[in-house]
Amino acid sequence: MQAPPVDRTAPPPPGELRSFRFPPFLKRTLAGGITVYAARLAGVPLVSLELITRAGAQHDPAGQEGLATFTGSLLDEGTARQNSLEIAAHVERLGGYLYSAADWDSGYVVGALLAEHLDSGLDLLAEIALTPTFPDREIERIRSQRSAELLRRAWDPASLADDRLIEAIYAGTPYGAPLLGRAGSLGTLGRDDVVSFYQRHCALAGSTVVVVGDIDPEAMIRRIEETLIPPSGQEPSPGPPEIRPAPLDGIVIHVVDRPGAAQTELRLGHAGVKRSNPDFLPLNVLNMLLGGKFTSRINLNLRERHGYTYGASSRFSGRQGPGPFLVDAAVSTSSTGAAAREVLGELRRIREDLVEILEIEETLSYMIGVYPYTLQTIGEVAKRLEILAVYGLPDNHYDQYTQRLAATTREQLLDVARKHIDPERIAIVAVGPADDLVPQLEGIGPLTVHRRPAETK
Amino acid sequence: MTLTASEPAPGLLQNLPFERAVLPNGLRVILHPDPSLPLVAVNLWYHVGSKNERPGRTGFAHLFEHMLFQGSQHVATNDHFRHLQQVGGVANGSTWYDRTNYYETLPSHHLDLGLWLESDRMGFLLPALTQETLDTQREVVMNERRQKVDNQPYGRSSERLHEMLYPGEHPYHWPVIGYMEDIAAATLEDVRQFFRTYYAPNNAVLTLAGDFDPDDALRRVESWFGDIPPGPPIPPISPLAASPPPLGAPGERRDVIEDDVRLPRVYLASRAPAYGKRGWYAGDLLSGVLSGGKTSVLYRDLVYERQIAQDVGVWISPYEEIATFMIVSTARPGVDGATLEQALVEHLDRAAAEPPAAADFERSRNRMLTELYSGLQKLDNRADLFSQFTTFFDDPGGVAREAERYMEVEPAELSDLAAACWAEDQRVTLTVVPRAS
Repeated sequence: MQAPPVDRTAPPPPGELRSFRFPPFLKRTLAGGITVYAARLAGVPLVSLELITRAGAQHDPAGQEGLATFTGSLLDEGTARQNSLEIAAHVERLGGYLYSAADWDSGYVVGALLAEHLDSGLDLLAEIALTPTFPDREIERIRSQRSAELLRRAWDPASLADDRLIEAIYAGTPYGAPLLGRAGSLGTLGRDDVVSFYQRHCALAGSTVVVVGDIDPEAMIRRIEETLIPPSGQEPSPGPPEIRPAPLDGIVIHVVDRPGAAQTELRLGHAGVKRSNPDFLPLNVLNMLLGGKFTSRINLNLRERHGYTYGASSRFSGRQGPGPFLVDAAVSTSSTGAAAREVLGELRRIREDLVEILEIEETLSYMIGVYPYTLQTIGEVAKRLEILAVYGLPDNHYDQYTQRLAATTREQLLDVARKHIDPERIAIVAVGPADDLVPQLEGIGPLTVHRRPAETK
Repeated sequence: MTLTASEPAPGLLQNLPFERAVLPNGLRVILHPDPSLPLVAVNLWYHVGSKNERPGRTGFAHLFEHMLFQGSQHVATNDHFRHLQQVGGVANGSTWYDRTNYYETLPSHHLDLGLWLESDRMGFLLPALTQETLDTQREVVMNERRQKVDNQPYGRSSERLHEMLYPGEHPYHWPVIGYMEDIAAATLEDVRQFFRTYYAPNNAVLTLAGDFDPDDALRRVESWFGDIPPGPPIPPISPLAASPPPLGAPGERRDVIEDDVRLPRVYLASRAPAYGKRGWYAGDLLSGVLSGGKTSVLYRDLVYERQIAQDVGVWISPYEEIATFMIVSTARPGVDGATLEQALVEHLDRAAAEPPAAADFERSRNRMLTELYSGLQKLDNRADLFSQFTTFFDDPGGVAREAERYMEVEPAELSDLAAACWAEDQRVTLTVVPRAS
């Protein structure tokens, strides 16, 4: 049979759209105060299993930065029944992974296991969450490992840039230090601090469990109710603290000197909005066309028009508190000043005029069209359910997501750009050879040069 | 054109049906239907990579990959991504030693868009090439090299290890991204010549995975790709590739480089059986015995118990001609490279002397299988695997047999392999140390 001829001169028209819906899920709050989200997703013999507590790093006390992630990483280092290596070997027998950790918003015990071993996996998750023993030996071992990791970060240009930027934006708030903490704070964290953080912030009451995979959701919820039982009368841990970074005075520039560096790590940023802010969705649309996708304004400008960089992007980080808005790129040192000015120019331009009609149309159709692609795996679906729980979004959030996207207007984008992007009160960080960078960045705003602190040499 | 349906795959990966066809111009087509999501992955492999380059002209295959996103006769500069993104498509490409791939996953009703874009740059690239886009992409790639190699702590080590492991004329000697001066020297005529030599349907495999009817999809593929003429036969690569001469004298097997870092890092590398050979699977299982997870042999001893290492990793690269086996470990503060190297070598000697403990072997095998299943969740990964098995082995059914290949290996094969690959005269050693200030 002869293949039909094609017209190469224009994009071919689409076929018939197939509809897509977010997978159905069950949500139930159990007697002990645990809320369960469970979704059946067949296809692979794996199940994603996750406990989410309120033990995020936003609760790190001043001077004890890193305490939440320290505690999180210690939960699976010893329980009433098993030591660290026994737990690790146990997980491996279940044919997958299971570990504990923390990020800004939450503490986690999270895993993906072979479906046939799910019952044992749930037992182990309960054991880790309810009976951690925080052995001294493991505390010292993890401390020493984290101390070496901090040293590595201090000599890694991208980490240096990230850490300097958040310090510039969030000094004096929990967001001002890396999740790992600082060299100074790490040394002060004792077992008592870990135990009291655990007792205060890791309550099962008020926590969330997300299970996605080849499961029967009803049966799964019953199993969880039998296995994961909060101590009687346990109160939920405290909710998020108010984090209010002081606005920057103007454009502030920090150059971190790396003499002889082959390139410069560039960052621009300021505090953004809470994930729960109703502006977050239009802001995400705005960011997508500003610096979120390959064909965004910032990437096309810095990479495709000027060749300054291999790639530039921007994002609003979704957190319970006002997470950062930031732009990042690794740029050739000689074009750092020009690249920073181009980014500032793009941030000013996005506040001045409505975006082009074609731009918003392309962006919205991208975000709507790419949606099923982002929901292929059990882990991706589990992450979306976790977002509902952590940010208090309604159960029908994902059913309405594409309609809400489609309803976004250019006027809305201009409005949120003016409210939430401020190129006149922004921090600029450049990590590279200061002698080359300072002359290029002078005149944009007050500039501080940071040499490598003596203790990391 | 008719489709040849696959035999039902035995074993653990039965839900990977595929059909295959070859167009008269030589394009091999694999169709893997899966209607569970309204998506289609379009995945195109060209059997050309950095191994097809010459010394002094390195980095070309990769720079060329960048040029393939700069438009073609019917697609304006920058419009490749624009067309795909505005329908919700996700796209990229990558270059490796043996191959270059281009891929997009898009809503399945836009299948024709993906086929239009891929066929336009396969058949109609030359009219769109300009000096201006080449100049910009050369800058972009030089910045990519700075970001991933020159400005990256320990970033030069992989390059240096390959230089030590393979002699100067060997096609794995130079880095995929190329040396800076070679990237800077690339001309428009080089780009044209490269296209004429390697970018033809007879040197490519196209896989579609996702929500489509195979007969209908094949008709569409024929419409878009059928009239692209085949190219000349592909120039052979050096016969050295699969069987390089033995490693040099002891002095050539060791090196120390200084870098802007604080913790010394030790690298050991050796040559191993090529991807697809039984010994390669033994090598992958051995890497899982030695590293990966707290109870693995090296992690448990060096990181957990003795705490002389911050991290340790072992892997075997899936190269087509000959594989590279690599061990990397970063020292804890206060530990020097020699101490760490000695500890690594003691473990390698033990791995060569006796088969792994049953529990370690089983753990490694379980891990491989879980990773395999986990990776198969994504359509784009599945499409990439079908293209890979067809490009390297002309055997798309190999994807479904991948789990069996691991299951067939006996524990004693791991120690035999360790003895063959990791003997003192079979390995190279590189230490990265803090630059003296």
